[in-house]
Amino acid sequence: MRKKHLKAGERGLTLLAALALLLYLVFLVLPLLLSLRSSFTNENPLKATNDFVGFANYTEMASDDALKASLTFTLILAFGVTVAANALGVGFAMLLNRTSLSYRVMRTLAFLPQVLSGVIVGFVWQTILTQNGLLNTALLKVGILDEPYPWLGSPHAALFSIGLVVTWVMSGFTTVVYLAALQSIPLELNDMASLDGVRGTQRFRKITWPMLAPGTTISVTISLITVLKLYDIITVLTGGGPANSTQSTALYIVKLAFTSDRVGYASAVAMLLLAISAVVALVVTGALRRREVSL
Amino acid sequence: MIRKPLLAACVAGLLALTAACGSGDGGGNESGETALTYLVFETPSLDAKFWDASIAAATAQTPGVKINKIVAPSTDRDGYAKQLQQSGQFPDLLQSITPSNFVGAGLLKPYDKTWIDANFLLPSANSLKGEVYIPPTNSQIVPQVYYNKKLFAQAGIAAAPKTWAEFLDACAKLKAKNINPIELGGADPFAASMPLVGIISADILGKNKNWLQDRYADKVKFADQDVVTAVQKYRTLVSSGYFDKGALGVKYADSITRFTSGKSAMYPMGSWFLGSVPKDTADDFGSFPWPTDDGSVVVPFVGGGSMAISAKAKDTALAEKFGQAWSLNPANLKALIETDGAFPMLKGKTLDDYGVTVTQVFKDSYAYVGQDNNKVNAIGWATNDDALPPGLNDAFYAAAQALFSKDDVAGEMKKLDDAWKTAVQ
Repeated sequence: MRKKHLKAGERGLTLLAALALLLYLVFLVLPLLLSLRSSFTNENPLKATNDFVGFANYTEMASDDALKASLTFTLILAFGVTVAANALGVGFAMLLNRTSLSYRVMRTLAFLPQVLSGVIVGFVWQTILTQNGLLNTALLKVGILDEPYPWLGSPHAALFSIGLVVTWVMSGFTTVVYLAALQSIPLELNDMASLDGVRGTQRFRKITWPMLAPGTTISVTISLITVLKLYDIITVLTGGGPANSTQSTALYIVKLAFTSDRVGYASAVAMLLLAISAVVALVVTGALRRREVSL
Repeated sequence: MIRKPLLAACVAGLLALTAACGSGDGGGNESGETALTYLVFETPSLDAKFWDASIAAATAQTPGVKINKIVAPSTDRDGYAKQLQQSGQFPDLLQSITPSNFVGAGLLKPYDKTWIDANFLLPSANSLKGEVYIPPTNSQIVPQVYYNKKLFAQAGIAAAPKTWAEFLDACAKLKAKNINPIELGGADPFAASMPLVGIISADILGKNKNWLQDRYADKVKFADQDVVTAVQKYRTLVSSGYFDKGALGVKYADSITRFTSGKSAMYPMGSWFLGSVPKDTADDFGSFPWPTDDGSVVVPFVGGGSMAISAKAKDTALAEKFGQAWSLNPANLKALIETDGAFPMLKGKTLDDYGVTVTQVFKDSYAYVGQDNNKVNAIGWATNDDALPPGLNDAFYAAAQALFSKDDVAGEMKKLDDAWKTAVQ
């Protein structure tokens, strides 16, 4: 009876595994392969072209100034947000690493931005950052500004504003990761450090920060990948403007495919973004893992 | 090892899942009606109530049709239609799209020309290579310059400017009185481009109506000196401080309220703005065509209209009948006139025939449609043979935003030429 029950369980697991594998193949691997294939064509559904063009799309990228600008913007944003969100995450985690009810409520609030859809985040912050938005109104009222500041209306300010919003979103995630990492630090370590007279920033530098290493690896890698493929928040906040100065590579891919109808070229750019994301993730994860081991 | 029956079960499950996620419209229903999908878009003026009522009215006149409404997630219905097309869900009917984007792939079916000729004032307003894919039910002027009469009086400006010199003089007088001369909703790329649309339409197309056809034939370029000189006017407006410094951070919707609440004196915008003129203060507003050097009137004109028909619609004849019923329904035109500032273009009808309540500024603006003047296809807005190639609008908008802070007019115009070259390849 027991043997029969186990067999049924195994069958169920096999079925689930097969279904998962199939879903993975159909919805991830197949589109990836189709996109790779498309990147070697001049696919344009509205001109009805889909001929093999070899590496033409890839060579075109070298002279595509809009692509270079989008990659520069995306990389600056990704690294800036990753640093800021992780610094904030560590700070918030240290502050919220308590067990009382009020701290549990604050932890939930800290995670809130992460569960909001990017579109909602974009619309909320748009009401804050536009020329007549809440931020300018408040700053004008208290006399900090004489005239409204174009938070989304100049290339540098828009980069900063988007960075701020994305950092706000990502810090919810990083806080939770670092909180979990903090709670895995053995209490004895801190007790021993106290006995040895190690306190404050010294204790953070010598005990807490090294012990957060696994959390740092996860948090930094996921922050980087999330921002490298960022689309929704930017689309709502600036639409890539002004003058394409905040056009992320993901947004550029969508515009190429659905505005310029250049699906083949868009696929090639998507492949480039995939490769960059993979390389960045591998390098960063590798470096951070080595740090974990050396610690 | 995965056994075959298990794999088969997985495939069957997946297929069931895919089927469940599909649109599920079978093309007909139990009562024998043919279901057609209709892509519309919603704005504060053209809301869900408007579309539902207009669909119900046209359905009542088209026996055997059932309309399944699809609402585009933004006003970019061309982009959404392309997404639907690429996922195999191209709608049967598509409201206010740019046909030139879709005709190349044989996706649209033209309307019966006899019907078009019989019913519309300008039958060829939307004509694309001799065929009409959108009934020209209405038109827009893109842009006109709307102005606040009270602020003009405050600055001592006696009359609406006609020439470029008078326009600059008016701007200077307004600025001297601490009044923001020109409103710009520059955070929305299309709105940011309005002054550029006005300048190029008036100064370039006004002198050569075939300029866009010449551009397609590579006879002229954006980087040509006459275009650069014209666009330099935009830089003059920016560098003279005639726009709000933070204009590229102002949303289109906010720009309307800023202008109508008296925060700026002039507002270059498409005639759909007329639907937003507050009724109680409408007499405070006037309009004039974008000024030219010599004061000649150039009207950047766009034939608007109703829906295009998919060449692959389940029943193209029925779809055309529905499109015809919708296009001729005076109630639809009434809503478009009152809320969207559309100028009706149905033959044999006056404004009074629609039972509309419109402002004097609407009537004055509409007068330019009937007058014998220099009408040109507004650059970036035309849906006929003068429509820009796919992707060029985006490049045009980006140039308008870039020129707000950059002085390199020639460089930005060259970028447009480069984008054009890529788009028509």
